[in-house]
Amino acid sequence: MAATRRLQKELNDIRQSGLKSFRDIQVDESNILTWQGLIVPDNPPYNKGAFRIEINFPAEYPFKPPKISFKTKIYHPNIDEKGQVCLPIISAENWKPATKTDQVIQALVALVNDPEPEHPLRAELAEEFLKDRKKFTKNAEEFTKKHSEKRPTD
Amino acid sequence: MSSTEPSQNKTWELSLYELHRTPQEVITDATEIAVSPRSLHSELMCPICLDMLKKTMTTKECLHRFCNDCIITALRSGNKECPTCRKKLVSKRSLRPDPNFDLLISKIYPSRDEYEAHQERLLTKLSMSHSQASLVNSITEGIKLQSQNRPQRSRKNHEENSNTSNSNGNTENAQNGSSGTAPAAPKDGSSSMSNPTPSGQSTSNPASVRSTPSPVPSNISSVSKNTSTTKRAKSILTSERSEESESSDGRTEGENSMDTEGEGEPLNPNEIELVFKPHPTEMTGDNQLMRALRDSSVRYLKTTANASVDHLSKYLAMRLTLDLDAELPEAYRLLNFCIYVAPAPGQFVPLAGSQTLRQINDKFWKVNKPLEMYYSWKKT
Repeated sequence: MAATRRLQKELNDIRQSGLKSFRDIQVDESNILTWQGLIVPDNPPYNKGAFRIEINFPAEYPFKPPKISFKTKIYHPNIDEKGQVCLPIISAENWKPATKTDQVIQALVALVNDPEPEHPLRAELAEEFLKDRKKFTKNAEEFTKKHSEKRPTD
Repeated sequence: MSSTEPSQNKTWELSLYELHRTPQEVITDATEIAVSPRSLHSELMCPICLDMLKKTMTTKECLHRFCNDCIITALRSGNKECPTCRKKLVSKRSLRPDPNFDLLISKIYPSRDEYEAHQERLLTKLSMSHSQASLVNSITEGIKLQSQNRPQRSRKNHEENSNTSNSNGNTENAQNGSSGTAPAAPKDGSSSMSNPTPSGQSTSNPASVRSTPSPVPSNISSVSKNTSTTKRAKSILTSERSEESESSDGRTEGENSMDTEGEGEPLNPNEIELVFKPHPTEMTGDNQLMRALRDSSVRYLKTTANASVDHLSKYLAMRLTLDLDAELPEAYRLLNFCIYVAPAPGQFVPLAGSQTLRQINDKFWKVNKPLEMYYSWKKT
């Protein structure tokens, strides 16, 4: 299958690149179409934790975009309670087969680090983010402390 | 850092290499630079399959290159646009073969098949090593989980213990409540003084929350069970019981393994329980020692996991001679034991004296019940 071969290459490239912001990539040998990994943001209020995500590639990959969902709860205007995330680069209207997964991950990390309240999934958080940044930061920090995973030490 | 600021929005337009590379000095003199074919890889690569271009096709409009097979699949899959830039591609006729590019590649990689085979080997090797690493990882995770479960089970048992005997049930329950399993627990402590039944029921609650497979037996039986175990438990480093008391009690070894010393300490993960039986073929009934031992030939031990097989055989020799004292001829006082573990029925693996119980348990005995070992003796 074309998808398998390309994903194997991408996986190896990403693992070798030693990306700091996306770690601990776990892929079931029998199913390379599902990846799990740890997003490690650098910016407050998310820099106190790590967030597990799952990337699901369709069998038609790379002609169809992958889907990303958060397994760890996160207080973020662009990520909803179910872990769904709105990432333009992998939306059906923007997807290009030439887009590689490391680019998708970098876009995701950038979005986590710098929320985009203009395109929110959770309007109430976007409003809080815009109108009362202090409160938003405090809430997000507490939420991160409570729900996020431990950051890798190295 | 400020220089990277404007490009941040377009991070996905840059490759990892481009993002992380260090800036290069401009060359002004006649220095010659040899370019490794590797650095050309991104130029010669098909963005769809990420392999080197094969039968290159170029889009007429935007001049992006793909393998013939890849771009045809892309068009068939319904995306009528350039996979690199999304410019409209009406049909195959928006593409052109690019034999010059194929020639260029064959000049750079004269032995392309070899190169690809090498890449292939590299790929499988990498994924192999990683799957091995993840296997090791998952095994250690599993061991960690198991060892977490063990003390928890014994703690549960201990809660029953302390509650039915009404000693420090209150504090126990409070601890339990704080761990989020039994919110109403602290109340029961006072009522349990007058009536043991409700407290017994309340302790069965956290147990079921922890999803134990079998519910706690009726209160009366659990009370009698616990008093009998506290009576029986002897707290020395190596506590042991003989078989008779075991069978009269009528309980399975599995339950026994969760018992604690009556003080209510959870089973220490550094401790191992084991059943010591005579070797079925080498220690048959007509054996003199066996006749002398009779019912006390099976031994139940709990001891530290650091104990070695040598320790065990010393203990066994001491214990058996102590039990037998007068009955045994002097010659048998210095018994030398050979110790086996039976990972499968009928299969006996002799153990080296230096092996610790933990090593044996991890290597041969993966199930969560007391380790079973066999002994036979030899004269020296």
